[in-house]
Amino acid sequence: MASLGYFLILAAFVVASAAFATGVAGGRRGRSSLVHGSVGLFHVLTGLMLVASAIIVHAFVTEDYSIKYVQRYSDAAQPLFYKLTSYWGGLDGSLMFWVTLLAVFGSAAVHINRDRHRLLVPWVVAVISVVQMFFLFLMVVHNNPFETHLLAAPLEGKGLNPLLQNFYMVIHPPLLYLGFVGMTIPFAFCLAALISGQLDDSWLRAVRRWTMTSWLFLTVGLALGGLWAYEELGWGGYWGWDPVENAGLLPWFTATAFLHSVMVQERRGMLKVWNVSLVIMTFFLTIFGTFMTRSGIVQSVHAFGEDRELAWMFTVFMVAILTISFSLVIWRMPMLRARNELDSWASREAAFLANNWILLFSAFFVLFATMFPTISEALRGERLTVGPPFFDKWMLPIGLMLLVLTGIGPLLAWRKTAVSSMRYQLMWPLTSAVVTGVTMTALGVQFWAAGLCFSLCALVAGTIVQEFWRGSGVRQRATGTDRFTALIGLFARSRRRYAGYIVHLGIVLIFLGFGGNGFKLEEQVVLGPGQQVSVGPYVVKYSALKVTDDGQKQMITAHATVERDGASIGGMYPARWYFRDKEEEPTTEVAIRRGFADDLYIVLAAFDVGTQQSTLEVTVNPLINWMWFGFGIMAVGTILSLLPERAMAFATATVPQGAVTTSVLLLMLVGGMAAPAHAQHVDNPQVVLLVPRTPVEKKLRDEIVCMCGTCGRKRVGECTCGTADAMRTEIAGLVAAGRSYDEVVDYYVAKYGSQEVLASPIDKGFNRLAWFLPYAIGLIGVMVVGGVAVKWTRRPKEDGAAVVTAPADDAAATERQERLNDELRDLD
Amino acid sequence: MSKKTVRVSVSAVVILSALSWLMISTISEGAEYYLKVDEVMTAPQSWQGKRLQVHGHVLGDPLVKGSTLEYRFKVHSNGKVMDAVYTGVVPDTFKADAEVVIKGRIDANNVIHVEPKGIMAKCPSKYEAVPAAPTVR
Repeated sequence: MASLGYFLILAAFVVASAAFATGVAGGRRGRSSLVHGSVGLFHVLTGLMLVASAIIVHAFVTEDYSIKYVQRYSDAAQPLFYKLTSYWGGLDGSLMFWVTLLAVFGSAAVHINRDRHRLLVPWVVAVISVVQMFFLFLMVVHNNPFETHLLAAPLEGKGLNPLLQNFYMVIHPPLLYLGFVGMTIPFAFCLAALISGQLDDSWLRAVRRWTMTSWLFLTVGLALGGLWAYEELGWGGYWGWDPVENAGLLPWFTATAFLHSVMVQERRGMLKVWNVSLVIMTFFLTIFGTFMTRSGIVQSVHAFGEDRELAWMFTVFMVAILTISFSLVIWRMPMLRARNELDSWASREAAFLANNWILLFSAFFVLFATMFPTISEALRGERLTVGPPFFDKWMLPIGLMLLVLTGIGPLLAWRKTAVSSMRYQLMWPLTSAVVTGVTMTALGVQFWAAGLCFSLCALVAGTIVQEFWRGSGVRQRATGTDRFTALIGLFARSRRRYAGYIVHLGIVLIFLGFGGNGFKLEEQVVLGPGQQVSVGPYVVKYSALKVTDDGQKQMITAHATVERDGASIGGMYPARWYFRDKEEEPTTEVAIRRGFADDLYIVLAAFDVGTQQSTLEVTVNPLINWMWFGFGIMAVGTILSLLPERAMAFATATVPQGAVTTSVLLLMLVGGMAAPAHAQHVDNPQVVLLVPRTPVEKKLRDEIVCMCGTCGRKRVGECTCGTADAMRTEIAGLVAAGRSYDEVVDYYVAKYGSQEVLASPIDKGFNRLAWFLPYAIGLIGVMVVGGVAVKWTRRPKEDGAAVVTAPADDAAATERQERLNDELRDLD
Repeated sequence: MSKKTVRVSVSAVVILSALSWLMISTISEGAEYYLKVDEVMTAPQSWQGKRLQVHGHVLGDPLVKGSTLEYRFKVHSNGKVMDAVYTGVVPDTFKADAEVVIKGRIDANNVIHVEPKGIMAKCPSKYEAVPAAPTVR
């Protein structure tokens, strides 16, 4: 199988080269047969990559340890879910995953735009193929995931670190990949537009959605990375300005800038060179980020080791990207001239321009500071680094400036804002900002930077509310409905604008979280039984240290009860777990009590079983949950903006009778989505994990996951919270009552209404599909390749038939027209 | 060149140079030397008192005094060893042979006093680097 996989990679490289060559030829000569050929070849490439992916997934599932990659990143004890996701666990596989994703994205983009942007398509194929060729080349000569052990294959896999066998770690990297890979599509369209000279705004329309989708993936990926660090690593924070994290942030800045400046080009025909450059830079930064973290160019404990050879290959590729792209921009400069000039600084386009400059500066700054060790070594021979305080110092004012623009920008008019209109627009938002600022100062909050941050949040919130209120008022008068229906109708009419405001609302909530960070309280104390510590409004009473063992690991748990403002709010149980055979690497199990006002976050830092003393690190993180919530709102806003027009059609329909009911339903739906009611995950090992009495019960504990909603779907056999304990008791009861394994599983699926409660999908019925998916994808790949082959072998016959019978249908007519065009062009 | 172009380019140059100057001047405050243990220990006197980030591997198990959280350990790279003192919480992956970066200053006895939260242990990554074999015993 391994050699078949390697062969497929080689074949994919050859096909990618062919797609590139035919794409260029098709683009230059404008022959439709060549264009069709390049598109077909690209679909073949996608098919080949899907088959290769299916092979590697198959190897993981069947534990084929003769393949080095499989042996290194999985072991037999892993649940199936983690085996499947080991595909992108290491460098070699993640490169292959990258190529596969890009192939699928590329095929989709080319297919969607094949008619609308005929002249761009061959060049798009050529550009994506070149990028594919680079990654395939890396895989062929340097990181072959199908490399096998030369001697006898080991019988055991090395397996994954338990810290990484975690729900967030499974979905966080692929989301970031989706974001990174997706940015290649706008780049390909941009270069295609530059090469072909089709530089009107049509290419922008083709890529806006792609950019927004990739941006959404990137945003969610970054948020999940932060959430993982906060819940699992136990240092109380979520962002540490590490090069690996920064690598994900850099393209986010430029993509955000592009999503704003694209509106200026659409409305006013300005900033054309700027937009083209932003797209190129975003793509460049995704490649650069990969390079930075994979090649060891930046020294970091989180980077993946040095690799000079890889570094050189990436450097050559990046230099090529920049030289070729910007040469094209310079060559096409005359066609990129702006239709208009900036009329006034008090205009919407000026606000967008300022926002772009600040975002670009942020990207430049983060890049500079991240690369500073490398730069200083090159210039001065000394490796100097800068830490998080330096980043914080700079990014704080930058963030606040962006927040001001978020508040003011939407209120300015295009071209020029009259003073009277500015007064009318800015009065309420400014009032709310000033009132908040004054209240904050009166309450004793330091004005710089927390007070300012909160008052700017009020400014932006004021702007958003005012926009919705005034807009719906106008629509209400125009359509004669109630305000609520008018609001929904308004949203449906100019969805991009109002969905954008929802994203801004998410930003406000995130900044609330940042502002709250200024009031973080930290306390590190050594406590004996009966002693207590008070941090902010909380009093933590430490009672005992307990040692328990569940057969898999030894758990040292500190027992404490917590009071807030004098009232008891329950127990908290920070712990350290020592897994069998991994004793030297204990895992910190943070106890978190979440709340709207703040999180109480307790880490068991050290302990002494003999004296029963524990060292606790108690942190109060104010407003932090608003930040996660804000990310959720941002995602919802982006998705609303991406929905097809039809999804909103009901609200703009002419019959307003049903509209109210529908909109209420819609609102309830959104409300339900945004705030799923969850029980709190509070560690409570008081009720010690009893050993399961029967094998069925043990199996069930491995299969059913805890439904408290905040522990990251731990199995009930492992989770230590009250919810899991209740579920364990329930399972024990069901088993004791004589129910079989399947009956209990069915019971839980019925109880929770979905298979969410199961660790892996049931292997029957519909779910066979999920198990079958990798194979199905592989099969689809084979079919695509075969289908294209059949289509091509058939074409000459059809052509011949067309000449003889000349059918009058449209398709044939178009084809004839095209051929005529081709021939005329050849005459020129 | 029109008047407008001149105005725009002059202000762009002024803003950019002001920002660059600010960045370079603030960077020297926050900057720390990033060195491997052997680079420091070949001429330790010249690094005394400077803010350092030292990259190396932990040699032997770190010793901790009861529950006081005072750790004494050694880091090494390329055959050179350095003593370190640290008080506070350590990362989960901080143990014998772990790859770490520690922040702090070295005293007259060439012992590095690590800042609070100044230990960064290698992230438990799937993307493993070339395993660093301990060279010192």
